[in-house]
Amino acid sequence: MRMDTVIIGGGLSGLTCGIALAKRGQRVAIVASGQSTLMFNGGSMELLGSIGGKTVTSPLEAIATLPQSHPYSKIGAGNIAALAASAKELLADAGINMEGNTSANHWRITPMGVAKPAWLTLSDHLRIDNLDNLPAKRVALMCIRGFFDEPNGMLAQGLRDLGFEVKAIEFTTDDITTLRRSPSEMRASSLAKHLGSNNALQRVADQINALAGDADIVLLPSVLGQNDDNDFQSLQAMARKPLRLVATLPPAVAGMRMQTQLRHYFKMLGGNYLMGDTAVSGAFDGDRLTSITTAKLGDMPLKADQFVLATGSFISRGLVADYERVYEPVLGLDVDADADREQWTRFNILEPQAYMGYGVATDGNLRCSKQGTTIQNLHAIGSVLSGHDAVKMGDGTGVSMLTALAAAQSILA
Amino acid sequence: MVTSDIYNKEYDVIIIGGGATGAGTARDCALRGLSVLLVERNDYSTGATGRNHGLMHSGARYAVTDGESASECISENMILRRIARHCVEETDGLFITLPEDDLQYQQTFVEACQRAGIRADVIDPAEARSIEPAVNPDLIGAVRVPDASIDPFRLTVANLLDARLHGAETLNYHEVEGFIINQERVEGVKLLNKHDGSHVEVRGRVVVNASGIWGQRIAQMAGVKISMFPARGALLIFGHRVNNMVINRCRKPANADILVPDDTVCVIGTTSDRIPIETVDDMRVTREEVDVLLREGVKIAPSLATTRIIRAYAGVRPLVASDDDPSGRSISRGIVCLDHAQRDGLEGLITITGGKMMTYRLMAEIATNAVCAKVGNNAPCVTATQPLPGSEEDAPRQGDTSKRYSFGQRAAIGRHGSLAARIEKDNDIDNALVCECEGVTVGEIKYAVHQLHVHNLVNLRRRTRVGMGTCQGKLCSCRAASLLGELNHDVKHAQEDLALFLDERWKGMRPVAWGDTLREAQLTATIYQGLCGLDNAVNIQGKEDMQ
Repeated sequence: MRMDTVIIGGGLSGLTCGIALAKRGQRVAIVASGQSTLMFNGGSMELLGSIGGKTVTSPLEAIATLPQSHPYSKIGAGNIAALAASAKELLADAGINMEGNTSANHWRITPMGVAKPAWLTLSDHLRIDNLDNLPAKRVALMCIRGFFDEPNGMLAQGLRDLGFEVKAIEFTTDDITTLRRSPSEMRASSLAKHLGSNNALQRVADQINALAGDADIVLLPSVLGQNDDNDFQSLQAMARKPLRLVATLPPAVAGMRMQTQLRHYFKMLGGNYLMGDTAVSGAFDGDRLTSITTAKLGDMPLKADQFVLATGSFISRGLVADYERVYEPVLGLDVDADADREQWTRFNILEPQAYMGYGVATDGNLRCSKQGTTIQNLHAIGSVLSGHDAVKMGDGTGVSMLTALAAAQSILA
Repeated sequence: MVTSDIYNKEYDVIIIGGGATGAGTARDCALRGLSVLLVERNDYSTGATGRNHGLMHSGARYAVTDGESASECISENMILRRIARHCVEETDGLFITLPEDDLQYQQTFVEACQRAGIRADVIDPAEARSIEPAVNPDLIGAVRVPDASIDPFRLTVANLLDARLHGAETLNYHEVEGFIINQERVEGVKLLNKHDGSHVEVRGRVVVNASGIWGQRIAQMAGVKISMFPARGALLIFGHRVNNMVINRCRKPANADILVPDDTVCVIGTTSDRIPIETVDDMRVTREEVDVLLREGVKIAPSLATTRIIRAYAGVRPLVASDDDPSGRSISRGIVCLDHAQRDGLEGLITITGGKMMTYRLMAEIATNAVCAKVGNNAPCVTATQPLPGSEEDAPRQGDTSKRYSFGQRAAIGRHGSLAARIEKDNDIDNALVCECEGVTVGEIKYAVHQLHVHNLVNLRRRTRVGMGTCQGKLCSCRAASLLGELNHDVKHAQEDLALFLDERWKGMRPVAWGDTLREAQLTATIYQGLCGLDNAVNIQGKEDMQ
């Protein structure tokens, strides 16, 4: 099989890159394990939320101050605004309706009721532009009885601390009660699947209409819409109050929805999404990667002119740490990581942890190297890159999308 | 009873220390009709009680080097199988000889076991491989002994529960700051209530110092000197239960030569190092300790090399220096009971120390005998025959897999024995699972909060095993924190509590943070910090000591 570009990894960065290339007529294959860290995404994209513990309000200005090792610096701080605009357009083309702008962060509300800076948020999810001017005063927080993956007590407290008047209202419907008999069904993703019928939505709407009282806005856990926001729109049409969703603990429906929509869009553009397969090794010819071997295709290597590594960080096994070292397991690429295990972590859990910034080493063009030799046709994108801490900086999704687009530009150039 | 009422009573006996020994002493004293107060500076079982293998020794390990300890162990072993059935898993154990070991030692070992009254059957290596497939297949000899696995948290809680059922008062998070001493006589203790920072005094006729390695410091406050030999031991917990029997090396006791199956996991240990008394509160496991445990552990069960390590921890054995022991006899037995009236001329204070978790009941009996002699009580000790709550004759058996019980109910019976009947299960919410790894239900959490002195998530973990399974509290900790916040009417602190819980789990993960453990850590950070913003909401610096 011969492709123009083969992308290893089918999460946010791999799909973004694949879409950008397929749109320009390339033959693209994505090798995807089927797991994506979008499963932990509550419905927002972030460019940059924090530097050194200080909250960032204007991400473009803050990005200009990042060190040279940061992926944004590698793709050029001056290019960020244009890349971000393309990313937003790409999401809209995939049918993902998000709001927000590049020059100023807004606030997303986490399952624990914490306001965190964000760049784009799904339009059916709660978003606050200005903490001093809340979009509503009285909030009805609808809590599904027996659903523990929304920590309602903390969420209600957090919302109160932000200045909302919160009434937490427990509710259930006959069919949710039936669902609850099996404890494993009370996950957000199972609820979303179940609520994907009009009858089930009508019963939820009836509860909202009966219980919401004098609230200005009704909040629901994000358990609607596996594939799109149609379920939300249907429920909104039946409910007599404005509705907004709030992220839950994983599996997060909003992130899984975005993953599905991006995948559908990629396929619609003619891309090959090799689901449930993983790359196991590659063949090099001098400073070029000529093919990769996957678990399922076995002795039929995937050949291409260009390759993109989008395998993610430790969570996704794009990086592996063993007893002695940190390494990139598919192609044996050079990594930026401390050699001494003692340096990988810190004693207190909430401190910044060094391992979060580990990743494959790349040149200014996001090209990888192996034993010191730059591989001319292999770019790395997303969380497998070194030089940033997605958890502490709030830049994970932005780095994924923008490095993916920058790599696509480089490939097409 | 409100706390101020507890302070205002005068007790026959005040016991310092909420480990197995203190809890056992409180139970024994209460059963003999004394009025009892037990005080613990942290949570129950936070010292050596909660920081060992969870091994119910047959005594075989000590048979060659310390026959008296071995006899004590086998006798207590047989007692605990009866009185603490719900805390014990009767696994039996193997003492294996590897090619690098001296097979001659096996005969010495078996003879010593026989002298101590410990059943020790030499079996063929092939049979050993068949009854315990995890064992190193290269073994050249094996002896089967009645070792078992025991849950020290459950054991301590059962003792405390029974003490309370018989009128004892127990206070955790109350730290002894000094003694009330009047004319060479201890008349009570001065306490810091760590919940609210207040200082109180409570009076008692006799005070028992059952505070393990911290006993030296406590004795010092009363002006008497005990010199302890802090012997630190580190252990590793693996994410799966690779073995079903306890596996020991058949050689002189050395580093990392015991692998114990505990519930869903298994534990290798220990190292043994003398440490300065000033460092007994530093439980950080070093890289060197981890290296030794791994290197030796894979010799016992080679599959450990590819099994995920979920955490590392260390404890300190409270051994007592012999130069301060007037009789010199107590040392060889391990258990040391000091009447400070005879030893130091200070009336009203008894120290019970040395020994092991395994012999906690015997230590409690010895200490209680000493207390009774002082207060003129002649009641006999019944703790060797009277089952602990949860282990009564008619209690449901562990491993009852009949359809009468759900997964969560069976898990709860395993943890609480007959007391599981008190867990609410009348409605569908009470039966809902909060922790899938360990099968902890909403009802069990309510029971723990209302009956088992649970103030925070770490307390809850020790009572129910919530968050102790393979995932180390990835999602269940948030569910439990939220539920606990509601039950304790303290939602405001639920986030801080959650962060402290995750930090406590991390302390154990960090020394072994590579492979899947590092992945798990990144996942936890992604969920709780990235998705939820917990680090934006709380600051836990300096608040770790309430765990």
